[in-house]
Amino acid sequence: MMKIAVCIKQVPAYSDGMMDPKTGVMLRDGLESILNVYDLPAIETALKIKEEVGADVHIFTMGPSKASAVIREAYSMGADRGYLISDKSFSGADVLATSYALTQGMKLVEDYDLILCGKQTTDGDTAQVSGAIAKWLKIPHVNWVTKIVGIEKDSITVSQMMEEEIVTLKIPYPCLLSVEPSIFIPRLPSLKLKIGSKKKKIEVLSLVDMEDKEEGNYGLAGSPTKVERIFPVHRTEQQKIIEKDSREAAKYILEVIENINK
Amino acid sequence: MKRQLIYPMEEKYQEYLSDESKMMGKANSISFPQSEEEILEIITKMRKSHIPITVQGGKTGITGCAVPSKGHILNLSNMNRVKEFIKTDEGNTFLRVESGITLLELKKEIRRLKNQEALFWPPDPTESSATVGGIASCNARGISSYLYGDTRKYIEGARVIHFDGTIKDIRRGEIAIPFLGFEKDLLDLYIGGEGMFGILTELTLKLQPKPKEIWGISFFFEKKEDVFDFADSLIRENLQGEKANLAAIEYIDKVTMDEIQKRKAFMTKLKELPDIAPEFCAMVYIEIHGWEEEALEGIAEVLMEMAENCNSDSNRAWALSGDTDIEKMKNLRHGAAECTNLFIEKIRLKEPRITKLGTDMSLEGESFKSVITKYETDIENEGLRACIFGHVGGNHLHVNILPENYEEYEKGRRLLKKWAKEIGEKKGKVVTEHGVGKLKKSIFLQTASRDYIEELERLKNTYDPIKMWNPGNMIEE
Ligand SMILES: Cc1cc2nc3c(=O)[nH]c(=O)nc-3n(C[C@H](O)[C@H](O)[C@H](O)COP(=O)(O)OP(=O)(O)OC[C@H]3O[C@@H](n4cnc5c(N)ncnc54)[C@H](O)[C@@H]3O)c2cc1C
Ligand SMILES: Cc1cc2nc3c(=O)[nH]c(=O)nc-3n(C[C@H](O)[C@H](O)[C@H](O)COP(=O)(O)OP(=O)(O)OC[C@H]3O[C@@H](n4cnc5c(N)ncnc54)[C@H](O)[C@@H]3O)c2cc1C
Repeated sequence: MMKIAVCIKQVPAYSDGMMDPKTGVMLRDGLESILNVYDLPAIETALKIKEEVGADVHIFTMGPSKASAVIREAYSMGADRGYLISDKSFSGADVLATSYALTQGMKLVEDYDLILCGKQTTDGDTAQVSGAIAKWLKIPHVNWVTKIVGIEKDSITVSQMMEEEIVTLKIPYPCLLSVEPSIFIPRLPSLKLKIGSKKKKIEVLSLVDMEDKEEGNYGLAGSPTKVERIFPVHRTEQQKIIEKDSREAAKYILEVIENINK
Repeated sequence: MKRQLIYPMEEKYQEYLSDESKMMGKANSISFPQSEEEILEIITKMRKSHIPITVQGGKTGITGCAVPSKGHILNLSNMNRVKEFIKTDEGNTFLRVESGITLLELKKEIRRLKNQEALFWPPDPTESSATVGGIASCNARGISSYLYGDTRKYIEGARVIHFDGTIKDIRRGEIAIPFLGFEKDLLDLYIGGEGMFGILTELTLKLQPKPKEIWGISFFFEKKEDVFDFADSLIRENLQGEKANLAAIEYIDKVTMDEIQKRKAFMTKLKELPDIAPEFCAMVYIEIHGWEEEALEGIAEVLMEMAENCNSDSNRAWALSGDTDIEKMKNLRHGAAECTNLFIEKIRLKEPRITKLGTDMSLEGESFKSVITKYETDIENEGLRACIFGHVGGNHLHVNILPENYEEYEKGRRLLKKWAKEIGEKKGKVVTEHGVGKLKKSIFLQTASRDYIEELERLKNTYDPIKMWNPGNMIEE
């Protein structure tokens, strides 16, 4: 049976724009946490493939212990197993360290045929983790996937949305896809599975479990990214008020839009 | 230089002549005051010229309460500041706000409060652009009134400007006035008063500790018999506990689901929801609010069993938790009301005489099945189409007729009158949460007792002897 891994992340539901004025780090305490919305279509894609050809769908998330909530959410959508990659030494990770820990974790469990990621997260926002995982695993990676065209025994065919064209690609397993939100409308959790999800096991993978136990390769220590300063963008607010009748106003708006595209 | 306060009506103010009832009114001038001083200046001018004033909040009312019939429009949307957060020694929490603050702004402000535990203001008529002043004036309820009751309970005080320019701070429990042989809190004259007795400039809202856990579950049904059985069993069984409670039980019928489906692609908030399978003829949305996860799950499990006994597949029931996800389900329920309003808006382009034809009647003591079957039979006999959705508790359903032409509109109007009469005779409520306004006035006057109407007229004469406020609401001008 096909083995699929889906990487998902827990993020703050909203920021309210609150940052620590000194460090520029986003204040997450007390904010509601949710599953990164861009990861929902990745879960949905895995479940659709499972429904079509049969598959074992495993969820991976790196985060603190409360991040197990997003695994439960994936369970209530229909995922089979979930792994929380969590350790004190994993915190403060940048793209490199995040992707490394995820790769180490996945390697412990299975050789996956297909790894699915979301387009990006709503907090870190880099859209780099997926590509980095593929690099660690030395497997092909396709971004901007908008459609699963066909699922074959040893490959998957997908549509990729490029700037001006749609490319159809046939990729051999194992491979990694980052899916666009438009690929599927994610299903909502089912009541039966949601109630069942509380009793379902979540495995925690920490440093001692990993093949590479060198603390310095993970978390803050393993992150070459150095944040010098984070600051709000200076916004130049321009507000032009035009008073015209509806026909003239419509014409004017069209003109403005055309000028933007020039 | 002093800023201009009063503007003559021009085309750009057209939207202020209407609200969500889709009635179209008339006015000569409009103002958007930013302070009490400005309100006083405006009303003094109007009083001198004998010009009546219609007060507006968010214009989301659905009975035409805020639609002007003449005179001046005083729109409060610029009075939306938060004034003070109060915590008493007993731990009660209050928020004093200007009345033009919208529900959306209020939620954000409450989230920002520095308080150990999270708080919320229970009234939530789902329309987030409604203002606190409008909600208070309609004594609106919204879906979780099943648990929390009406708005009245969550307003502790108000600051009111009267016709003569006097300003009064009124607190709950301070002054009682006689009403139909009983005593009524003076504050409750204004709450539900539809702006007929004075302008509320500030309200002191009673905040509540926010439930730690919220679940929203949508059950789907293929057969009507099954959904009726489920609804009736929900009311029969008492599922309320100490640590978790049912907060909302909402019914949505097939016609409504189809209308939502048709418009979904154009409604940003609904676009991301999966389609509802065509084989379903109705859904019931239930919200559980709780303090302990286990208690809440316990209720969810009982509900699952009850639903399965009524042939609703719990594998296909949607179950969400957390504020952000619950909002998706609320948007769906809100979409029900919004779609019927959009239908009317569209048909009005062809036939401007048509306005909203929706009921707000409740009838306790009868089975859900008998109430809904009665509506459906009447609608079918008249050859009409209607959306039926609303609160299962108290059989408080909103039947919204969808007329294709004026003839059907007239038929629908007659049906509404007939239902009002029948429900009035059975001692049900003809107007429950949306107010009377102008759209429901004839039904209201036809069904309310003579004593009640006379009492209202007496109060109007006492508190607004020069008939300055909101001409045309509730009683004859
Ligand atoms: C300038 C800068 C400063 C930062 N400072 C800090 C800091 O001080 N502390 C800190 O903690 N973070 C910080 N971050 C964030 C951190 O680098 C990223 O959150 C982290 O590397 C993951 O990248 P991302 O969120 O951008 O994911 P993306 O690359 O946008 O995510 C793409 C996909 O990868 C998968 N994925 C991403 N993250 C995870 C995960 N954790 N578990 C499972 N799957 C995942 C998901 O499928 C996701 O859709 C900073 C980021 C930047 C750009
Ligand atoms: C899609 C939709 C769904 C809805 N669902 C529900 C629901 O489930 N339950 C429910 O109860 N209601 C519902 N409503 C209606 C709800 O009652 C109104 O949205 C709200 O109560 C009115 O608020 P508003 O600020 O828009 O008031 P407006 O419509 O502007 O005014 C309503 C009345 O209040 C008066 N008023 C407003 N502000 C003041 C003030 N400061 N001082 C004195 N008088 C004032 C006005 O004169 C008018 O008489 C719904 C509406 C919509 C559009």
